[in-house]
Amino acid sequence: MDLKTCYAVMGADYEDVIRRLSTEDRVVRFLTRLPDDGSFAALQAALDRQDYQEAFRYAHTIKGICLNLGLTALLQSSSALADNLRAGQADSSTPALFQALRRDYEDAVTAIRSLSGF
Amino acid sequence: MEKKYTILIVDDTEINRSLLADMLSAQYRILEASNGVEAIAMLEQHHTEISLVLLDIVMPVIDGFEVLSVMNRNQWIESVPVITISAETSSSYIDRAYDLGATDYISRPFDEKTVQRRVKNTIMLYAKQKMLEDMVTEQILEKEKSNYLMVEILSNIVEFRNGESGLHVLHIRTITELLLRQLVQETDQYRLTGAQISLIVNASALHDIGKISIPEAILNKPGRLTAEEFEVMKTHSVIGAQMLDNAPSQDEALVQIARDICRWHHERYDGRGYPDGLKGDEIPIAAQVVALADVYDALTSPRVYKSAFSHEKAMEMILNGECGTFSPLLLRCLTAVGPRLIDALSASTPDRLTRLEGQQLASQLLSGGQASNRTLALLEQERTKYRFFASMSKEIQFEYNLGSDILTLSEWGAQQLGLSELIPHPAASPELAAVFSPKDFEDLVQRIKTATPNSPVINVNYRLRIFGQYRWFKAVARPLWVEEERPTLTGCIGKFLDAHEEYEELATFRRLSMQDSLTKLRNHMSARKVIEAALAHSDNRRYALLLFDLDHFKSANDRFGHLFGDDVLKAVAHKVLRSIRSEDVAARVGGDEFLIFMAYTIDQVEPLIQRIFTSLTGTYRDFPISLSLGVALAPEHGTDYETLFNRADQALYAAKKNGRNQYRLYNSSIQGYLSVLSPIDSDSAQLASQP
Repeated sequence: MDLKTCYAVMGADYEDVIRRLSTEDRVVRFLTRLPDDGSFAALQAALDRQDYQEAFRYAHTIKGICLNLGLTALLQSSSALADNLRAGQADSSTPALFQALRRDYEDAVTAIRSLSGF
Repeated sequence: MEKKYTILIVDDTEINRSLLADMLSAQYRILEASNGVEAIAMLEQHHTEISLVLLDIVMPVIDGFEVLSVMNRNQWIESVPVITISAETSSSYIDRAYDLGATDYISRPFDEKTVQRRVKNTIMLYAKQKMLEDMVTEQILEKEKSNYLMVEILSNIVEFRNGESGLHVLHIRTITELLLRQLVQETDQYRLTGAQISLIVNASALHDIGKISIPEAILNKPGRLTAEEFEVMKTHSVIGAQMLDNAPSQDEALVQIARDICRWHHERYDGRGYPDGLKGDEIPIAAQVVALADVYDALTSPRVYKSAFSHEKAMEMILNGECGTFSPLLLRCLTAVGPRLIDALSASTPDRLTRLEGQQLASQLLSGGQASNRTLALLEQERTKYRFFASMSKEIQFEYNLGSDILTLSEWGAQQLGLSELIPHPAASPELAAVFSPKDFEDLVQRIKTATPNSPVINVNYRLRIFGQYRWFKAVARPLWVEEERPTLTGCIGKFLDAHEEYEELATFRRLSMQDSLTKLRNHMSARKVIEAALAHSDNRRYALLLFDLDHFKSANDRFGHLFGDDVLKAVAHKVLRSIRSEDVAARVGGDEFLIFMAYTIDQVEPLIQRIFTSLTGTYRDFPISLSLGVALAPEHGTDYETLFNRADQALYAAKKNGRNQYRLYNSSIQGYLSVLSPIDSDSAQLASQP
């Protein structure tokens, strides 16, 4: 799968990311580091031990990465969770928001792993 | 080659950092920090080299806002621009960053062009400003240097012509500076700053330039000058001032001060000097000081018409008014610096000049608040040296910066203590508290706050807990201040030396010095100290002082030898220890006399004494042990050691008199019994108590 297809699969904005980061090579270089980034695992762990301040920070980190890489779908779900956790507290909608983020994250990782040459 | 500017990227997410680094590394040198603590540490070490900081806001431990606050406190923000980067676009975030001194704001998602352009613009703006600042500072530096050079040349010409030793000008400078520094300690009525003192010292070198116009024959005449010749000689002050009045840069502070000094350095406080007969503080203070310096140096140096007087003789002559009248305040200053004058003058050889020059220029520049890049680079070099040696020495060194509130440990030291090299907010750090108790930490902080520039070094012992083990350390530390005249604390440096063995040894010695070597009980001296302390803080508690000796102990020695006698004493001591509580005091106060001191409650004193008496009585290897025991009680029989001991002694005597093998409580009927023991000198007591 090439990068353009990969972005389409992830529900991400290919044109935008190329405009901002200039070259496909650079986008691929940083995109393929996403599966190794520990933020998602750390977010999950923080939620498990109900440390919502930490959880907010990791949701926020994921949001930042998505902004840079133009991962629109994951950006939306991570933003939603970050907003939900901003006060350092969870509520009844937190689990559903996390599940949505997890789905988008896993979709993204699957798509990235199927990039040709990865 | 064009200079590559350095950018510090601070972001806790590795991908974000490397993405920025990727965009910028072609044009810039990149430093990275993954959190606020690292960022502050890097700024602390490299802030003079860093041209820009790209700062993430949301980070663990210390966030971007706090990094900005620290940069403010250390005034780094004035020379190092910061661009904050965040996914947060709410105006409160952005406003707060701007309020804290951020120069610009980039929001995510950012694009390469924007990042590169903003970074470049910001760096250029600051670089231009810095360059202009440097140009101005360098110009000032150059000007100061050429001023100094001119002064040197002129004063050397004068000296050469005067046939003086060549050191006169140097001496005048040294004495003038010592006097002025002392003067500002004594009074602030002249409002002299460090920079002004430097100017006066510099100008003092010119005091005699008018002598250029005095004919050689008068100037270097070996004998006494005639009245006419003296009148000619006196004109040098006015002529010197005129030369400077006509100088092209007469508005300069240096020239004006030099002019005053030239004209009035022969005036006297009582108005009897020349040329103008000024009186008291009509004479500018610079001229007054140089006049005194001139007289002192003239007296202590050889001249064509006289040989040198000793320092003591010169001081005597000046203070007696033999060289004219000076301000009493200045004479006080002269007396105060007197002892230092001899050393200072012998040290002022021409070699020292360049260093002196450097120091003065540096102090002038720094007091002006401007330091050029060159100065900063030199400082940076010093720091690098210091860190290099610190890293090589196997010492626990530390540095604390008040502005950033970060404690930095040397690498080796951190390893030894099992701590991080950087500890933010040490006063509230649980990590530090586990090793260095908060009470001791507070103690050290207090000592640092109260140390003065006159005795800055702190020496104190603390017990640290290292990997679960307590060890004693000797802490040597000193505060750091800026601005010598009114010091402001900026932090402190110091090291911890392992003094555990030494300390343990000392504790052993201390214990030995308090011990009776045979029985390991306390000796009389140390028992007395402890008892006196207990009585002084008795808080209405009741105490009993028991004094006893062994009946017929002499026969044990006589019949079985001294070694056996010693064994008996040891056995008794052992029994004593077993029959008292750990907080009670037991001592051997003489040959076979022992003392016990214990707290008691009112209804238990008789049973208590009975119990002890019984438990000590018995046999040791068939030798019968019986004792005569006297007791005095505090407070009813006395509240001080001397009285209690005396009365227990009298009770003991009564017990003996009454047939031995018994105990007696002191009471008034015993009073007046002749005591056989003297309270302190137990040797003579032992002799006297022999049956």
